[in-house]
Amino acid sequence: MQGKGLLAGMRITLNRLFGKKITVHYPEEKIPMSPRFRGGELDLAHNKCIACGLCAMACPNQVIELTTRTDEHKKRHLTSYIYHSGRCLYCNYCIEVCPTDAICWDKNYENSRYFRHQLDVDCLAISRGKSPNAVVGTNPDDTDKEEGTT
Amino acid sequence: MQEVTGLFMVATMLRNILGKYLPNPQWVDIVITLINIGAIFTVISLSAVILVYAERKVSAYMQMRIGPNRVGPWGILQTVADMIKLMSKEDIMPVGADRWLWILAPVLLFIPSAAVYVVFPFDNQAIFADLNIGIFYFIAVSSQATLPFLMAGWASNSKYALIGGMRTVAQMLSYEIPLVFSILGVVMIVGSMRMSDIVAAQQQVWFIVVQPLAFIIFLIAATAETNRAPFDLVESESELVAGPFTEYSGMRWALFFLAEYANLFAASAIAVTLFLGGWNGPWLPGWLWFLLKTALMIFVFMWLRWTFPRPRVDQLMAFGWKILLPLSLVNVVLTGIGIYTVKYFS
Ligand code: SF4
Ligand code: SF4
Repeated sequence: MQGKGLLAGMRITLNRLFGKKITVHYPEEKIPMSPRFRGGELDLAHNKCIACGLCAMACPNQVIELTTRTDEHKKRHLTSYIYHSGRCLYCNYCIEVCPTDAICWDKNYENSRYFRHQLDVDCLAISRGKSPNAVVGTNPDDTDKEEGTT
Repeated sequence: MQEVTGLFMVATMLRNILGKYLPNPQWVDIVITLINIGAIFTVISLSAVILVYAERKVSAYMQMRIGPNRVGPWGILQTVADMIKLMSKEDIMPVGADRWLWILAPVLLFIPSAAVYVVFPFDNQAIFADLNIGIFYFIAVSSQATLPFLMAGWASNSKYALIGGMRTVAQMLSYEIPLVFSILGVVMIVGSMRMSDIVAAQQQVWFIVVQPLAFIIFLIAATAETNRAPFDLVESESELVAGPFTEYSGMRWALFFLAEYANLFAASAIAVTLFLGGWNGPWLPGWLWFLLKTALMIFVFMWLRWTFPRPRVDQLMAFGWKILLPLSLVNVVLTGIGIYTVKYFS
């Protein structure tokens, strides 16, 4: 019969009208991001990081800016780790190259900011904030300028 | 004469009260007329506000969403907020626009939409003007809405608006004809164009039972006439650059919108009057029946809108002229044969 499809369509919309709503009430409710989600900001685990600087070197856009300090045992420590997210391509190179899996994406997708400088994230400070008892790295005065990479 | 009910009583009471305070009957008439006009505009603007909200909710529910839920409880103040936003928008007139035509178009569009409310029988006796050519008046006045669309398209001094305006006129003309012929079946059975007669004739059986084909044709043609999806080639702003009102902004644009929702209410009310028995119904007062049925019809229009995809313009025209018009003519012939057989056997 002609027009059967029209009725079928109307039946579907009527079912949906009374059916379950799948809307997420966004600011109150949030969807957990999948493990493969690539976005947000770099989440640094500073006590895993060996300050090798590979991530900064792998980055095609010079997004990661880190400085290091060498201690008396010739061991390097991070002194700063700035992630300029405004320039990031989310290409994942930095994370792939990291030998100790010290960085990963946080699952945040609310990245809008009012000012450009707010896009520069001090990952080391954030990481320290998460585990306050870790004391690797010290204040910026100790920075080993020669070791610093940008 | 049927028993006097509901709204008519209110009107009579009002008349009596006014009679005590005003010097002579002419004054009462004037005041009553002003109240009537005010009532029409209240109905229109209130229904527009409610319908916009209802449309958003219905569409959301059909798409498994929730719809507006931020402003006020369940988002019921969303439309009010939108109106305030529209009023505060800048009013832009395109360079080289045909100034007076451009200004007049939205106003002229709104007038026929408001004027058709005059002949709606909201309840027994509750009708602003029970013309003996009620249906004819409705068709004549509502088809005036074609002109302002062309005016708006022409006056905007924009190719897109002009093309949109012509497309609108083509669509509205094509669907006006089947619409009229589908109504004709009802008029033939009743033998009168007076709205109250048509409603009174449906006390036993609604015309949707006698004239199912006409009802379907009316539904389709009225959807096209009110510029609603699937026949919304007039407005679709992202795909067809909003047709004739491309260049309008702020409150002027809102007038187009208001007229559209006034038309939706009008089309539903006419469908109720012609096919669904008007204010006839047991237990409840007539005006409530009228309102309920109209709400149901509005829901049907919204249901259609959020179900079907839009046809191409050539399909639209072909459907109107090659399918709807012959079908409506067939309906008229069948109705005629039916009337004569009934007369012959009785
Ligand atoms: S994702 Fe790519 S662009 Fe972004 S910081 Fe890592 S390497 Fe640089
Ligand atoms: S690649 Fe990994 S370990 Fe090396 S500096 Fe970057 S984050 Fe630290």
